[in-house]
Amino acid sequence: MFHSVSLLVLRVTLRRPLNPPESVTRHGHVTRPKPGTGIKVHFKDSKGELIKIIEGNEGDDILSLAHEHDIDLEGACEGSIACSTCHVILSPEHYDLLEEPGDDENDMLDMAFGLTDTSRLGCQVILDKKLDGMVCTLPAATRNMFVDGKKPTHH
Amino acid sequence: MVMNPLKVAIVGGGPSSFYVASRLLSLVPLKSTQQLRVHVYDRLWSPYGLVRYGVAPDHPEVKNCAHKFDDAATDSRLKFFGNVNIGGPTTSSPSAISVPIESLLAKYTHLVLGSGCAVPVLHPELPPSERCIPALDVVHWYTNHPSKPKTPPIDNAQHVSIIGQGNVSLDIARILLSRPEDLRQHDIPERVLAHLAKSTVKRISIIGRRGPYEVAFTAKELRELLDLPGVVMDPLPSDILQPKEGMKPTRQQSRIVSLLQRGSKEIPKGPSEDFKSWSLEFFRSPIGVVPTRHSTSSNLELSLAHTTLDPNNKAVPTGATSILPIDLIVTSLGHRSEPTTHWYDPGLGHVRNVSGRVVDGGGNVLKNVYTSGWASTGAKGVLATTMMNAYDVAQTLLSDARDPVPETRSVMNEDIKETTLDELPEEVKRGLESSQVITHDTWKRIDDEEVRRGAALGGKERERMDWTEVDRYLQKIRVA
Repeated sequence: MFHSVSLLVLRVTLRRPLNPPESVTRHGHVTRPKPGTGIKVHFKDSKGELIKIIEGNEGDDILSLAHEHDIDLEGACEGSIACSTCHVILSPEHYDLLEEPGDDENDMLDMAFGLTDTSRLGCQVILDKKLDGMVCTLPAATRNMFVDGKKPTHH
Repeated sequence: MVMNPLKVAIVGGGPSSFYVASRLLSLVPLKSTQQLRVHVYDRLWSPYGLVRYGVAPDHPEVKNCAHKFDDAATDSRLKFFGNVNIGGPTTSSPSAISVPIESLLAKYTHLVLGSGCAVPVLHPELPPSERCIPALDVVHWYTNHPSKPKTPPIDNAQHVSIIGQGNVSLDIARILLSRPEDLRQHDIPERVLAHLAKSTVKRISIIGRRGPYEVAFTAKELRELLDLPGVVMDPLPSDILQPKEGMKPTRQQSRIVSLLQRGSKEIPKGPSEDFKSWSLEFFRSPIGVVPTRHSTSSNLELSLAHTTLDPNNKAVPTGATSILPIDLIVTSLGHRSEPTTHWYDPGLGHVRNVSGRVVDGGGNVLKNVYTSGWASTGAKGVLATTMMNAYDVAQTLLSDARDPVPETRSVMNEDIKETTLDELPEEVKRGLESSQVITHDTWKRIDDEEVRRGAALGGKERERMDWTEVDRYLQKIRVA
C-alpha cells in the first residue's frame, strides 16, 4: 500500500552530510510506524509546495519527525523551548485541536520570524490520531535579497 | 556543476560562523567532486563566541546549539583554529597569536567576517570608572572571558543602576538578584559564586529613556525576573502602561505590558527587609554623574533628564531633571564591531555590506568576501535571526561562485589548487607547532575536562578554566 502512494520528494538544497549528526537522536528518537498505519503529516515549504508526506506515531513531536525524514527544520535548543528555530505553521483545523501553547512557548513564538495565528514550535506539537492529515508549513526564511536581483539556484 | 576549489576562511568562531560553515558543508556533499575547505578562526582559545561568553549561566538550554557546531566539526573539511587574532595583539585574548588579514587573502579563495560586535557602546555622559562599568565587563566576569575584566564592586554597593532596557540588562539584574544557591549548579565560575555570596546589592534600577512599549528586552527574561524568589518589582503607575493614542501594540508589546501589569499588582509575602527589589525607570536619560557630595549612604549621584516621546517615537528632554543616589552604574547600551575589523564602517558600527557581500570604502563590492551575523547587521536579533542570516550568506557565497556578481573588486587568491587546498598561513602553522593554536579536537579535550571539574564540584554543569589552567592541562595530557 505504502509503495503505491507517490511521495513527492522535492529536491531541497539541504542534504544531510554523510555522517549523520548526533543531534538527530538527541531530541526524542522516533521509530517509523509500519507504512500505512501511522499518523500522516504533510510538510510544505514556505511557498506552499509539498516537500513530503510522512508518517509518525502517537507521541512523536514534529521536530523529531522532521529530522527523521530529512526535512530542513532547525532545532537549535533541541526541544527545550529556548529558541524559535523550529517554528512551523499548522493547518488551522489541526491547530485548533491542540492545547493552547504555554507561556514558555508563547515567549519564544513572540520572536519567530513570520509568525501567524496558527504558528507553533515544532518541538511542542505532539502527534495524536486526531492530527492525521495535518499540514506543517515551514515559515519563510529571511528575504533572499541579491544585489543583482538573481535568485539562488538549487544545488 | 563543479567549480574551482572553494577554500573559505571564516573570521570569528561564534554561532554565525558555525552556521555558515555547517550550511556550506551541507550544501556541498562530502562525496561531491566539488572541493571545499572551511577554516574557522577565533581570537579566543575556545569556539562558540557569545554562546559561551554571552549567554547567561542560568540559560543552559540556549547553549545546546553548540552541539550542531561540534557535529559540523566532525566533517573533515572543517577546521577550527582558536587563539588566532586576525590583526595585531589584543587585550581581549592575551594568549592569541596575531595573523595579518593579508595572510588569509593570500591563502584562501573566500573570506567570511563573522567577528560580531564585541565593543560596548558607552554613554557620552558616563565615562567608565571604578563605579561605572560597561555591562560587557559584568558578562565577561561571570563567563570567565579571557579578557579578565575587573570584578564588579558588588560587595560594596547596595543600589545598582543599569542604563538600558534590553535583555543584557535583565540578565545582569537576574544574576545579581538570584540566590547564590540557585545558581551553583550552573555554568558559573566558583569565584563568581563566592563574590556573589558577598554581594551587598539590595536594589537594582533599570533605566531607559523611552517607555514600556519601546523596551528592547523580551517576555521570557522579564518573566524570569518577576518570578525570582525573594525579589519584588516596584509597581508601575497604570498611566505609563497605557498605549499611546492611536497606537496598536504588537503581540510582543502586549505580552510584555501584561507582564508588567501583573508584576505591578503583586504583593510580597513576608517582611520587606528580607526582600530585594528592582524597578524599571522609564523616560529617564543620564546627563551626568558625580561622587556624592553629602554624607549619605550612597557613592554617586546620577543626574537624569526626564524625557517624553516625540512624534517619531524618539526620546526628547522635557526640561525636568532629578537625581538618583546610586552606588554602581552598569551601562548596557548595545555593541558595535571592533573598529579594526576590515571594511568596518564607523557610521554603521559594523562591516559595510549589501546582503552579506562586503563593500569597501570606495563603494566597490568585494569579490568572494562576505560578512555574517552581528558583524553584518549590528548587534541585534536572537540566535534564530543569526542562523537565518548565516544560511543566507552560505547560499549567496555558493550562488556567487557559480554565477559571479559583475563588477567586483578582487582581493582573494583565486588560484587555489589541490596542492594548496590544505595549506595554512605560516603564522598558524607555527602556532600549531608551539601548541598555542587550539584545534577543535584539543578544544573537545578541554571541554570534557571543564565538565569533569564541574561534576567533581557536585553536579555542576562545568567549571571553566582560564588559559593558564588550559595550558597546564594540555601539557599534562601531552606528556601522558
